[in-house]
This record gives sequence, structure tokens and C-alpha cells, in this order.
Amino acid sequence: MARSKFQLRNAQSPVLRYGLAVLSVSVALGGALLIERLRLRNITLFLFAIAVAAWYGGTGAAMLALLLSCISFAYFFIEPSHTLYISRSDIPYFILFALFAWLVSWFSSVRQRVEADLLQAREKLEIEVSERSSLLNLTHDTIFVRDMSDSIRFWNRGAEELYGWTPEQAIGKISHELLRTVFPSPLDDIQAEFLRTGRWEGELKHTKADGTQVIVASRWSLRRDEREQPIAVLETNNDITVRKRREQEIQSLNQELAKRSTELEAINKELEAFAYSVSHDLRAPLRHMAGFAELLRNSAAASLNEKSRRYLTVILEAANRMGTLIDDLLAFSRISRAEAHYSTVSLKQIVQDAIAEVRQDANERKIVWKIDSLPEWYGDRSMLRQAMVNLISNAVKFTRARSQAEIEIGCTDHQNDHVVLFVRDNGVGFDMKYSNKLFGVFQRLHPQEAFEGTGIGLATVQRIVQRHGGRVWAEGKVEGGATFYFSLSRTGAH
Amino acid sequence: MDSFGRILLVEDDPKDVELTLTALDEYNLANEVVVATDGEQALDYLYYRGKFMRRAPENPAVLLLDLKLPKVDGLEILQQIKVDEKLKMIPVVVLTSSHEEKDMVASYKLGVNAYVVKPVDFHEFVNAIKQLGIFWAVINEAPPGSARKG
Repeated sequence: MARSKFQLRNAQSPVLRYGLAVLSVSVALGGALLIERLRLRNITLFLFAIAVAAWYGGTGAAMLALLLSCISFAYFFIEPSHTLYISRSDIPYFILFALFAWLVSWFSSVRQRVEADLLQAREKLEIEVSERSSLLNLTHDTIFVRDMSDSIRFWNRGAEELYGWTPEQAIGKISHELLRTVFPSPLDDIQAEFLRTGRWEGELKHTKADGTQVIVASRWSLRRDEREQPIAVLETNNDITVRKRREQEIQSLNQELAKRSTELEAINKELEAFAYSVSHDLRAPLRHMAGFAELLRNSAAASLNEKSRRYLTVILEAANRMGTLIDDLLAFSRISRAEAHYSTVSLKQIVQDAIAEVRQDANERKIVWKIDSLPEWYGDRSMLRQAMVNLISNAVKFTRARSQAEIEIGCTDHQNDHVVLFVRDNGVGFDMKYSNKLFGVFQRLHPQEAFEGTGIGLATVQRIVQRHGGRVWAEGKVEGGATFYFSLSRTGAH
Repeated sequence: MDSFGRILLVEDDPKDVELTLTALDEYNLANEVVVATDGEQALDYLYYRGKFMRRAPENPAVLLLDLKLPKVDGLEILQQIKVDEKLKMIPVVVLTSSHEEKDMVASYKLGVNAYVVKPVDFHEFVNAIKQLGIFWAVINEAPPGSARKG
């Protein structure tokens, strides 16, 4: 409204403006004559005419209207009529006309000034908005502005890139309909909170122009005018579809992991029950086989021939070997199952203890021991001792054929977080192409008759080393000795 | 039944009973043995119940206890003995097939006097049983109220 009135005022030519003054006064005169005829004297219509001329015609028109009103009033309404004679008592009428004309002209000029200011402000705002628009178009973020009836008013380049509609296509559309928004909670609740706080953040599902769905992290901020009336909503959306998908993947992986871990726990329990049962129930019949075979040998020794006695011996040996195998296997499984007790240990002390234990079985053999300086480390004392015993007893066993066995125990790499130890011997060695079989359970590279054993020792070493966050490997050649290395980690122990 | 023994052997497997008695026989200790073939019988013996209602009123000098037993298992028997004022002084030796650490720990926590794993090898087995029999029934001074060698 204000805008159209303003335009009317600006567009008026002087002819029109002054014509307006003449016309309004003529209309007032006609009206007044009519009233005069009815014997009423009234100046209201003249005042109205002056007001109209002043308001719409400006100061010049107001002056003309004032002049014409005065003449008309003097000529037609002041006695003697049809003359321009006026008495002193009639002067207040003219002063009233003049005052009124001045007042309305003043109002008019004030209004004009206010309107000019307003126009300037609006122009500034428009410049600002267009500047901002170009700034908002620079960002990759998706930004659009909608009015309070959700009709899109501004649509930046990011929005076009994300959703696929150009500003021309999007502006004027209802945003939630265009984007087929899926809200996390009822829209009424969201709107209520938004109007109360002026801000809202949440995840929305939108459908793009090509029909695919995106998940966005949406932020709304409310713009209010000077009278605190909400006028627009600035909505910034970030595409988090990929992130959400990753999150879901992680979540489902976590669930899978939890399931696996439960399964593993169950399997571990079963394994423990199995080991327990093996330990109790498999050893008893073996003991009986061995026991009664022995009793048979004692009671029937005289009546048995050589062959029969050998059969009995084989039965006894087999039973004993089976017992050893079961014991070793259980010991191996215990290393995986047992809780480790980690503390600071002296590797030198562990090696010395292990040598002392192995020496008992080495009898009269001539063995040259070479032990380097070894650091203190963090680990399970009894497990590390077991690993050392196994490695050193292997070294002793496989150097049996040497007239002088040489066994060296040392440390090749000592860092803050890990250490590498080795046990080297000058024994029968092994073929490197079988080195991958060394650490398997029941894997043996030598026949039982040459070197006794169950094939559990190195598997046990590997398990112990793994529990200390390390690994074990070996170097050797046939008849050229063997070196077994293992690393221990300070942080990887579990 | 007027039987009383200086050794109470609690063992459900007749073959193990036979082997154990054979081993003890070498030192003439077999006839000092009373055998209970399950946990309930063992408790009947200790509390003068059932077929042991009229046995001689003395505690055995030692109790050789298997852990895996029908009805009442070895650890339960051990627990009952060790909380009973009249029985807690009886030396109890667990004699089991198992190397299981948790059994061993549980036994010692309940106050067992010794824990022996039966060896598979018969010579070792006989040796172990013999030494047990000699130590607990002959060398060791049994607590007051135990059956004594006549």
C-alpha cells in the first residue's frame, strides 16, 4: 500500500498536482453550496479540500488550495455574498484555512522523508541480501531460506548441488513437500520448539530430484523482524548419508563382534569342559591298561615266551606314551586357557632356572653353555620359564650326537618396547623348507626312534610367546645347527 | 558290620580300587583299607550311617579321596569333613586322575592335606600309592581318636 501511494505521488506531474487542488476545492465548493442552500455554513469541506491538496499535491498545491478556498469562501459564504468583501470578524476562517494548510503540508513532508528513509533502507537490505546470496553461494553447504509458510525464498548453489533443483525450480515451492522431508519427531513438536528457542538441530531424511534419499544434519535458525515477529527460516543442511551408513556398518559389525565373542566364550567353556573330561576320563583307562598289563607280566612272567613278553612291553610303552601325549596336550591347552600373571622378571634368572632343570636330564653330557647378558622384562614368569625349558631341552636333545655340544642363549635386539631372544645350538638342525611345520601341534621333523618327543614343545613355546605379544621363528640347516628366535613385547602382553 | 580301617579309600572305579589295593598289598596295608564306592557311602562311613552304622568308633588314619564320584563328589566330601569338628582332623589326601589346576586350588582352599595325581605308568602308580600308604598309615602320627595299629 505504502509503496503504491508513494509511486502515485512521484509520478504526478505539476499539472496533475495543481489540477488536483483545483478539483478538490471545486468539489468542496459544490458541497458547501449545497449545504449553504440548506442554510448551513460549513468550512469542513474546504479544510478537507486543502488537506487532500496538501497531502497528495505538496506545498504548492496546498497554497493554491488555500488561496482558492479563501476566495471562494469570501465570495460565496461571507455576507455580502458574491463580493470579495470580508469583515474583521471573518478573518479567523482564513487563519484556520492557513493553519490547516500548513499543518497538513508539514505532515506530508515528514511522511515523505520517512518514506525516503525506508526506501533507502530497503535498497540497502536488498544489496546486502544479494551480496550475502553470492557469499552463501560460495559455500558448499546446503543453505536455503523459507518463509513462515515454508515457501522457499532463497536457494544456494550448495542446495542445488545436493538436491538437484535449480533456484528457479525450487523458489516458491513448499520446502517439506519438495524435499519429501521425513522428520525424526512430529513436525508440530519441532515447530513449537523452534518458535520458542529460535533454533533447531536434527537429522532429516530428504529425497533428491533424482529420487535418491539423503540423510542430512539440519540446522534451522529463525529470523525475526523489528517487532520480533518471525519472518523467515534459514535452513542449513549437511549431507551425512555416508557417515550414517558407516555408523550403521560399525554398529552392525559391533553386534556381529558381540555375537562372535559370546560364541567364542561358549566354545571356550566347552573346550574347558572337554579338557577337564579328557584329563579325568581318558587317563583312567590308560592307567588301567598299563596297570593290568604290568600285573599280567608279573604274574605270568614264567609262562610267557619272549614274543609274548615283547607284546606286553609294547602295550605298556604305548599306554605310557599316550599318557604323555595327553598330559602334554592338556598342558598346551592350559597355556591358552590359564590366566597369565604378569610381573617384572629377570630373563637371566629364568634362563638359569631352565638350564638347571634341563641339566638333570642331560646326565654326563659335555655341553658348553654360553649365556649373554639378558635384560629384565615384563611377563608371566612360569610361562616364560616353560618356553625357555622347552627351547633349551630341544637344544640339548638335538645336540646329542655332538661330542661337544654348544648352546648359546642371548639377546639380539633390545628396545624399549620389545626384545628378541635366541637359543642357538650346533645340533642336527633342520631343513628350512620345513620351518613352517616346526611350531604346529604334533608336528615333528625327526622320527621317534631318533629323537623322542610328542611334538608339543615348540607349539607351546609359540603359544606362550604369542601371549606375550611376540612371535617365534627359526633358522637352521641340516647338520648345521639351529637357532630359535622369539620376540617379547612390553605392550602386547595379554 | 564291624569293619574299621586305618585307610578309607573313596573310589568309584573298581579297577582303580584293585590297582590301589594291589599296590598297598605289597606293604601288607591292603587289609587296613575300607572302600567306599561313592560319596554317599563315604559320608555314611564317617557318620556311622547305613551299612556302617555299627562300625568301630574311630576315625581312619587317612582318607584317600577321588574327586569325580557319583552322588556326592570329592570336593563336597572334603568340605563337609573340614567344617565338622569331629572329622576335621582326619588327614585327607586327594587322589585323582586330573592335573586340573582349579581342582587343586579348590582342594587346598578347603584344607586338603595332600594332592596326588595318579600316574599312568604302573610302576610310578604303585610307588605313589605305597609311599602314601606308608607315610599316612605308618610314619605319620595320626590325630587323637584315629584307628591305631594294634
